[in-house]
Amino acid sequence: MEVQTEVIVTRRKGKNIIKFWHNYRQSLYGLIGFVILLLFIVVAVFAPIISPYDPHAMKGEVLLSPSISHPMGTDHLGRDVFSRIVYGTRVSLSVGFIAAGLSAIIGIFIGSFSGYYGGIVDEIVDKIVDTFLMIPAFFLILIIVAIFGNSIFYIMLVIGLTTWPQNARLMRAQALSLRERTFIMVARATGESSIRILFTHIIPNGVYPVLANTALQMGGAILTEAALSFLGLGDPNLVSWGKMIYQARPYMTFAWWTVVFPGIFIVLAVVSFSFIGDGLQYAFNPKLSVKQKEVSA
Amino acid sequence: MSGFIRFIIRRTISIVPMVLLIVLINFFIIHLAPGNPAQIISGLEQPSREVIKALEHRYGLDKPLVVQLGIYFKNALKGDLGYSYIYSEPVIDLIKERIGATLLLTLTSAILAFVSGTFLAAWSSRYKKGILDSILSILSYVLYAMPSFWLALILILIFSSNLRWFPTAGMFNVRLSLHGFARFGDILYHLFLPVLTLTLIQIPVYFRVTRSSIFQVSRDEYILTMTAAGLERKKIFNKYVLKNAILPSVTIFGLTLGYAITGAALVEIVFAWPGMGRLMLDAVFKRDYNLLLGIYFVLAVCICIAILLTDIFYAILDPRIRYK
Repeated sequence: MEVQTEVIVTRRKGKNIIKFWHNYRQSLYGLIGFVILLLFIVVAVFAPIISPYDPHAMKGEVLLSPSISHPMGTDHLGRDVFSRIVYGTRVSLSVGFIAAGLSAIIGIFIGSFSGYYGGIVDEIVDKIVDTFLMIPAFFLILIIVAIFGNSIFYIMLVIGLTTWPQNARLMRAQALSLRERTFIMVARATGESSIRILFTHIIPNGVYPVLANTALQMGGAILTEAALSFLGLGDPNLVSWGKMIYQARPYMTFAWWTVVFPGIFIVLAVVSFSFIGDGLQYAFNPKLSVKQKEVSA
Repeated sequence: MSGFIRFIIRRTISIVPMVLLIVLINFFIIHLAPGNPAQIISGLEQPSREVIKALEHRYGLDKPLVVQLGIYFKNALKGDLGYSYIYSEPVIDLIKERIGATLLLTLTSAILAFVSGTFLAAWSSRYKKGILDSILSILSYVLYAMPSFWLALILILIFSSNLRWFPTAGMFNVRLSLHGFARFGDILYHLFLPVLTLTLIQIPVYFRVTRSSIFQVSRDEYILTMTAAGLERKKIFNKYVLKNAILPSVTIFGLTLGYAITGAALVEIVFAWPGMGRLMLDAVFKRDYNLLLGIYFVLAVCICIAILLTDIFYAILDPRIRYK
């Protein structure tokens, strides 16, 4: 019996993935974003193989313009810009994944609890979420990082801890509507515990908008890290795209490549996450594509 | 009209808990930060015993935490945000001197972005699924992904360093002491690139919201009825679709302002604009916690007020909202 249900579940999961992919493909943006992200992941994983030079080595000539030996030139200390960008991919991607992942987890828990149980706690959570959504998180992140320290783990943690309210709002709305659905009422009537209902029914069925939003927040986290680094608050031990722009700024007028290339990569990474968010919206909400076709026809 | 006044009062009351929450966050940061709270408030590296004593008494730091919180609230609402350690001046005075320049930048760009974003959305929605629409849509993704400080640097590279059309820094030419209209023109000249940067990064927000709401409104039944009744399509679009589709953009104006101020702070640093961004950078580098927290508080209050004003404006535009 046990085994049988497991087989059914996995079979259904397999089917869901195929269906998911089928819907995701509806969005051209989603596909492009997925491909760009895959390329970035490959670059991040194989950074030591891909980069032609050591990103910290100050051997080359200073401020060389792009050439065959240095495709994106060298910076004011003679370091190869391309190699530094390749290594910077690691920082940006991990900040994106970890910070936004943390934000999603916190948001899902707080949002589903608050929406499912309701009452006074829900009202307080709603007010806190409102406030956080209005006041830009960036300044709070900046203050905390300036005061408590700027290692990369700290930066990720703080971004995650200040950006969850968006996810909580989405998850709360889902929990509020799912709460009234028949299958939840049945579960409650058969005596399933609230915690079990939350984890087996509410969260798995309502998590989709949070996932689409998380893709966007990954891009947001990359931008936040870049801005912190630009203010000189990046991790002092790592190469990041924002820090490259920060360090190159004084030499910008006679060495444009030191500023232009890192920025292009920031834009590419953030756009790819936005595109993926677009694709996820189609995948979770197939009606969207039907509607749009209807109108364009 | 009484319904309208009641609406305004209700909205005003609803921002109070938000301001309180911000004060609460600041209070906790001061107490969790490394170092003695009295030392942070004094703005001195090594305040003497007397100074500490006096401050502890003034801010009630020798009393239990709950009482301290109450005193902190009272002071913050009175505008007493303590002293800045780098400038040895009250934080509130420093902010007062610079907030005008920041608001000038933020509001000018926000209004320009609102107008141009809405206009572009209306324009492109006529060519739905055409080349123009696709180009604008991709452009909106790219601009949305662009760090404000990087865009500012690129614009300086193009328009200041290479073409030499615009100045790279400052709010006015310090070498000329201009007055009256000439001074106004000079400020506008310096304002151009920072405002262009900030407008460009905000346009995508308005563009997308208006675009999707035009899409939604044009599917509404009353619009279909008008089309069926044979009204001219152009007339329906301009008079009914657009008018209703702009409403969501108005609501997000206040919310986008928070995003705009963040961008403004970074862009100010690039252009050496004499606003709060520069102040913030100094505070970060010299670890002036009090100044940082003060800036955060003032910006948060500004945003709350802006959101309140947009809500009221929205209620004037759309009377249905007042009775919800």
